[in-house]
Amino acid sequence: MIISPLLLVLAAAILGAVVLGYVFARAANRGLIGAVLGAGAGALGSLIFMIPLDYCMFEAERKTIDVIFGVMLIVLGVLLVVAPVAWVGQKLLRRESLISATSQPTQGTFRQWWLALPLLAPTLVILVLFLYYPSLETLRLSTMLSRLGARREAFVCLDNYTRLFEGTAYLDVVVRTLYMSFFIVVLSMALGLLIATMAYLPVRGASIYRILLVWPYAISPAVAGIIFLLMFNPAGGIINYFLNNWFGVRPGWLNDPSLAPWTIIIASVWKSIGFNILFYIAALQNVPVDLIEAGAIDGAGLLRRFWHIVWPLLSPTTFFLLITNLTYAFFDTFATIDYLTPGGGPLQSTTTMMYQVIRLGVDNNDLGKAAAQSVVLFLMVIGLTVLSFRTGGRQVTYGA
Amino acid sequence: MKKLVFLTVLLALVLTMAVPPSTIKAQEPVDIEVWIAFSDYRLDWTKEVAEAFNAMFPQYHVEIVGGMSYEEMFAQVSVAAEQGALPGVIHFNEASTQDARDSGNFKPIAEALAGRTEINGLPVNFDDIIEPTTAYYTHNGEWTSFPWNTSSAIWFSNMNFLNAAGFDTPPATWEEVDQYCEAIMALDNAPEYCWTFPNYGWFFEQWLAHQNALFVNNDNGRSDRATEVAFDGEAGIAIFEWLDDQYDKGYLYYSGAQGGDSWGTVDQAYQTQQVAMAAYSSSDTTLYTRMGEENGFTTVASFMPYNQETGWTGSLIGGGSLWLVDGLDPEVEEGALTFMVYLSQPENDMAWHKLTGYIAIRKSSNEMLEEEGWFAENPNQTVAMQQLAQSTVTPATSGALVGGFPAIRNAITAATDRLFLTDEDPAALLAQAAAEANTIIEEYNLLNAP
Repeated sequence: MIISPLLLVLAAAILGAVVLGYVFARAANRGLIGAVLGAGAGALGSLIFMIPLDYCMFEAERKTIDVIFGVMLIVLGVLLVVAPVAWVGQKLLRRESLISATSQPTQGTFRQWWLALPLLAPTLVILVLFLYYPSLETLRLSTMLSRLGARREAFVCLDNYTRLFEGTAYLDVVVRTLYMSFFIVVLSMALGLLIATMAYLPVRGASIYRILLVWPYAISPAVAGIIFLLMFNPAGGIINYFLNNWFGVRPGWLNDPSLAPWTIIIASVWKSIGFNILFYIAALQNVPVDLIEAGAIDGAGLLRRFWHIVWPLLSPTTFFLLITNLTYAFFDTFATIDYLTPGGGPLQSTTTMMYQVIRLGVDNNDLGKAAAQSVVLFLMVIGLTVLSFRTGGRQVTYGA
Repeated sequence: MKKLVFLTVLLALVLTMAVPPSTIKAQEPVDIEVWIAFSDYRLDWTKEVAEAFNAMFPQYHVEIVGGMSYEEMFAQVSVAAEQGALPGVIHFNEASTQDARDSGNFKPIAEALAGRTEINGLPVNFDDIIEPTTAYYTHNGEWTSFPWNTSSAIWFSNMNFLNAAGFDTPPATWEEVDQYCEAIMALDNAPEYCWTFPNYGWFFEQWLAHQNALFVNNDNGRSDRATEVAFDGEAGIAIFEWLDDQYDKGYLYYSGAQGGDSWGTVDQAYQTQQVAMAAYSSSDTTLYTRMGEENGFTTVASFMPYNQETGWTGSLIGGGSLWLVDGLDPEVEEGALTFMVYLSQPENDMAWHKLTGYIAIRKSSNEMLEEEGWFAENPNQTVAMQQLAQSTVTPATSGALVGGFPAIRNAITAATDRLFLTDEDPAALLAQAAAEANTIIEEYNLLNAP
């Protein structure tokens, strides 16, 4: 189906006009100005993604899913331009300062404002070279059929993305990633907290225990992976040797599709638990002892004291650990998976999104598809982080 | 005062550094950088050879850079090519041959040698190189890369178990493997499993070559560019059905590991005597023989068992070769070629074989090893060479030439994984792998065909 680009720009303009007109009307009854501004912003916004892609997804031989993606990209572009304009416009119309009142510095203003740029330049250069430019290049590659070492590339529009929706293969990978990450995060944090509370008790040699508990975190994932591989090898590994001698069972740690993810979860939790323990011990040290004593005097039992006094005071740490563990579970478990279950596990049962990206890009030399999947992974992690901030962030209590 | 002293010293240092280097050295040796895809004792040996070479030819200075796997090497080379920062010589595995030829980064050895039979006093003597290696790395009779490490897939048997079950020699056919396993698994001290192999596409290709079946079309990509796969025919299905049968009977151990990193689990299973036999690469013959000696059993190497229905045509080689980068300075190119020829000279060839188990690629080397009684003392080391020597060279046994080979191998590995762990029909699984592989070839040719 062919849809004229002009029609799409017009539709985007109307969308922008409606949104901005409504916002401006609500703010200060200036709906008309809002509509005109919105039309311009909307039209411009729709072009952000469409100009580089040249409306390729609306060509004749494209399928419905391509059109849907195209429409989504246009809407995204419109929002990207209209949202800041709406925010700024709202502030101006309400005669509010653009800079938040509480962030006005009262003393020590940096006088030579122009000095800021050269001072920031080194960091900016590094960020641009190693973060922003590769990100843009990834976006570009995700629209290409590209192989490492090939003579040329071929433009394939959004095929690398739409192909992910054919069949359930990619959905399986996503679900598997979420399910494994959930358990890694929850188990690692829960066990970390449990062990931290125990390690915090005034026992003899507590500091030695703490060092030993944090040790696994310092081991490189590759080393941990090899150790676990040799331990968990269903035939010849030491774990199955003892299990067979004592109980007569030989679980297929690495070759049973339902057990392999759990082997990865166990190995990942073992590796990251030290990090959680460290932070929780530090956080526990900030819990005032008199509060707990007061609770004990009032007759609160151990669990009640923990749940009502200690846990809320730990909430900032818990929130921070949630975000870092989420990042670890999504990205850093690659090495563990690659060493324990090379190839992605029996029946691909340990292939997470990150593993799939590297397998496609590095092993199969298929850069285009890997780039597309890496963009999807990026969006998912951003989404989860934003979600965490919105739900968990509200429940965090800062300050004792 | 202190400032003055400091400045004077600084000035003096700067002046000494400004002394022109030509007054220090009489002649600069030509620098040749060689990238090797090894990171273990094989890399150490190569560095020693480079030192000996530098001593022999002071006009050249070869520097060995290693520490990468074959896949990492490929990625590194692609990136370096874009930046124009390629070294002089690159070590690729055999599967990357088509990719390397298409990349445009390399100059065919035959072209660089231009018919010379010796270089810097070293004889080239390509006729001395064994047949299967010649068949693999030549294109229309011309050498494109220089052969170096050649291996073949062979069979290792723990003779303790075989002897206990009443057998003196390792199994030769699939049928015999089945018989042997039945007897071995019935022993009192039977191992956990009868045999295993790394789930890596190369073994499937070997069993295909035994049956004189092609892996890809157009004579395995040698008469013309390969456009689709041919491994999903009868021969391929026979392999899958046999493997499935062995797994269902509990004879075959599958560790769940797939691809290039799956070899470690096989090593461990064999060493701890959880399996009686293993299909493996001859490049670790020394290792497996020693595993036996150190753990109280004897390892006997033999030919890979073949399909008795179709007979045995020949075996495939594995390993890698050295590629000459295009566009080098004439002296650098000369030095690079000399080093490659030096590495393959009989003394080095024989030393390499003794150290690792890789096959000596020169017929003269093999004769000398025979004469000095090496093979008589180390019977396991002769198996791979015998297997290749007895192979009939056909398009099927010459090995496949196709782009995106690693990705295709991964498709077969995934299909083998599904074969063991699900009840799906072998033919259907192969067809699925074939469809995936065909897409890879199509995309590869789209981006690489001139």
